[in-house]
Amino acid sequence: MARPILMPQVGQDLTEGKIVALRVKVGDKVKKGDIVADVESEKATFEVEAFETGTILEVRHKVGDTATVLQPLMLVGEEGEVIASANAGTAPAASAVPLAAAQQPTIVRQSQGKAGSSPLARRLAGEAGVDIAGIAGSGPGGAVVKKDVEAMRRSAPAVTTPPAASGALRTLQAGTGDPVVFVHGFGADLSAWRPFVLHLGIKNPVLAFDLAAHGANADVQADGFDALTGMARGLIAQAGVTRLHLVGHSLGAAVAASLAGGGDLDVRSLSLISPAGLGPKVNGDFVSGFLSSTSEAALNVWLGLLVHNPAQLPGALVRATMAAREGSMLADSQRRLASGVFSGNTQLFSIRDALQRFSGPTRVIVGQEDRIIPAEYARTVPGQVAVHVLAQTGHLPQLEAAQLVARLVTETVRSAG
Amino acid sequence: MYRDALREAIDEEMARDKTVFIIGEGIAERGGSYKVTEGLLAKYGPKRVRDTPIAEAGMIGVGVGAAIAGARPIVEILYVDFAMLGMDMLVNQAAKFRLMTGGDGRVPFVMRTQGGTGGGVAAQHSQSLEALFYHIPGLKVVMPSVPADAKGLLKYALRQSDPVMFLEHKHLYMTKGLVPEGEHIIEFGKADIKRPGKDVTIIAWSNMIPRALEAAAKLAEEGIDAEVLDPRTLVPLDKEAILTSVAKTNRVVIVQEAVRRGGVASDIASIIQEEAFYQLDAPIEIVAGLNIPVPFNLELEKASVPQVPGIMAAVRRSLHLAPAAIAAQ
Repeated sequence: MARPILMPQVGQDLTEGKIVALRVKVGDKVKKGDIVADVESEKATFEVEAFETGTILEVRHKVGDTATVLQPLMLVGEEGEVIASANAGTAPAASAVPLAAAQQPTIVRQSQGKAGSSPLARRLAGEAGVDIAGIAGSGPGGAVVKKDVEAMRRSAPAVTTPPAASGALRTLQAGTGDPVVFVHGFGADLSAWRPFVLHLGIKNPVLAFDLAAHGANADVQADGFDALTGMARGLIAQAGVTRLHLVGHSLGAAVAASLAGGGDLDVRSLSLISPAGLGPKVNGDFVSGFLSSTSEAALNVWLGLLVHNPAQLPGALVRATMAAREGSMLADSQRRLASGVFSGNTQLFSIRDALQRFSGPTRVIVGQEDRIIPAEYARTVPGQVAVHVLAQTGHLPQLEAAQLVARLVTETVRSAG
Repeated sequence: MYRDALREAIDEEMARDKTVFIIGEGIAERGGSYKVTEGLLAKYGPKRVRDTPIAEAGMIGVGVGAAIAGARPIVEILYVDFAMLGMDMLVNQAAKFRLMTGGDGRVPFVMRTQGGTGGGVAAQHSQSLEALFYHIPGLKVVMPSVPADAKGLLKYALRQSDPVMFLEHKHLYMTKGLVPEGEHIIEFGKADIKRPGKDVTIIAWSNMIPRALEAAAKLAEEGIDAEVLDPRTLVPLDKEAILTSVAKTNRVVIVQEAVRRGGVASDIASIIQEEAFYQLDAPIEIVAGLNIPVPFNLELEKASVPQVPGIMAAVRRSLHLAPAAIAAQ
């Protein structure tokens, strides 16, 4: 069964974007991580990547169209597959034909107005951990109904992708000068940086990658912190990048610090947002709760711990996190990684030595109200490191105080000359 | 036939229980306008089968009073429209007596009457007024759709001890169906699946049952498998049967002949959305009479109440079938 590639959510307040390029057409084969379209928002142009390997079955927009965030841009499935919409098992075989014949192919959503979904469809999608926003609806006006969710669930399993690190570094912003490479935190992926990057005031290229057990590298296993860092180092080397600025968040900040302290890369500056590895404690309940959540509601509760004001938590983040887990080994890989880097409430690694060794400009930015890693650890960093403790901010300063954090990162990058 | 089933129930219960008697307009000598009571006068005599003047307030008052005094009266009101003359006795006396006597006083009173359209008998003889009684706590509301139910429910009505609004339909008296002989008793609050199906639940009662079954038969030709659920008694209502069916089909169409506004269908829809919201895959459809007095003209009368094509269209909507497909039918 076909699965949709969604118009990504690239900013908190972005609701639609214009399609400026379509890099595939119906019948093309794509693999996970391939760029299939370029989409432009008011603030930036960004790439849409395939999260599935398969054949493009349907492209719902043409260049110049405006597409709604989290709505399907195109459908990917098996070659020769007919996009089934009618008769999802509600009619007996003998009478299926007239029912199907009576049914109009209304799976294309109207771009105006809210199509919605039936209560039953929402419940079933919730139980299955499927993001309902990513399901093509066949009900009135494109509303998602029971059979659409059932069709989605049948199509979800059994998609296996060869375990190879996909691509090297993804460009979030083109530019000139030394690239700024962003490293996401535990449970996120590179696309988490997209909204933040819009706030940066730098001309440098902005690159990002998915850590092992995350995003497009969900099936790359890492059993501990060293393996995680090694995989990141390999990706950067593979991309031919040797001189760079590093920005990391949480576990990704620890990876960035470790890379910076390794001596093999010419790291110009280091910006660490809510870094892990500065002290022993981590909120182990959050880690296990996050990993074991099987519904949007449950996940919402745990993700709420990330921010000081839960109202700031974008609903799209919850849905996207849940959707990413569907039909992939993401959760398994992350569970394995978690057991290698955390033990209950303890972080099993330290970046103190790496920070001590790194001599370039370094900033640590933490939220005073961080409920995942204690903010007080930021006071224990070596003297050359600048520390910013933001009031009324939790574990996601780059989201909760995006403009300020972007300014601090920009200053750090610029200070390296 | 439906009317014979009713007569069988009355006959059997009068033979069994000496406190059962029946009064009404033209029910003794003439055997009733719909021939339900034919032959009963000869069998049970004028004390137990008694004609009355055209005085509904008095008839209902006599019935309620006799019930309080310990008899089991059946009062036949020729048209439900005229039961309005006895509303004080029904609403303020019969429905309240049990509660206001702390449960000591009971009112085993059965008002048999008929309503609905189909006769071209105009606005004052065609109403479906079940919602008025449904609204009053203390009254049981029974609406049989087939002969077997008519007998079983009437026998049960004459053995329980609360006031029963036994609402027949003028169009059903001549309908046929198998009726079990002898002790055939149907407890109140037990819905009946008149046609099992799995795609959509059509809830209907009284004369809307034959119409819903006809719609279901035609829909079957399109590959749509509709379940037709007959609550049989609106008070008490078999919620469990309704929710079970909804859980199976995820779609509901409620059909009532009565006007749409303030109807029983709206209340059933509200119960379903409250208790089975996350089972619903489509909005609950209600097919009901127009919010107007029933027209005299036969064609307009038909247009004012649900017909088979309207029920079919509602079913298709609930299955998300596109309007174009409906137009093509």
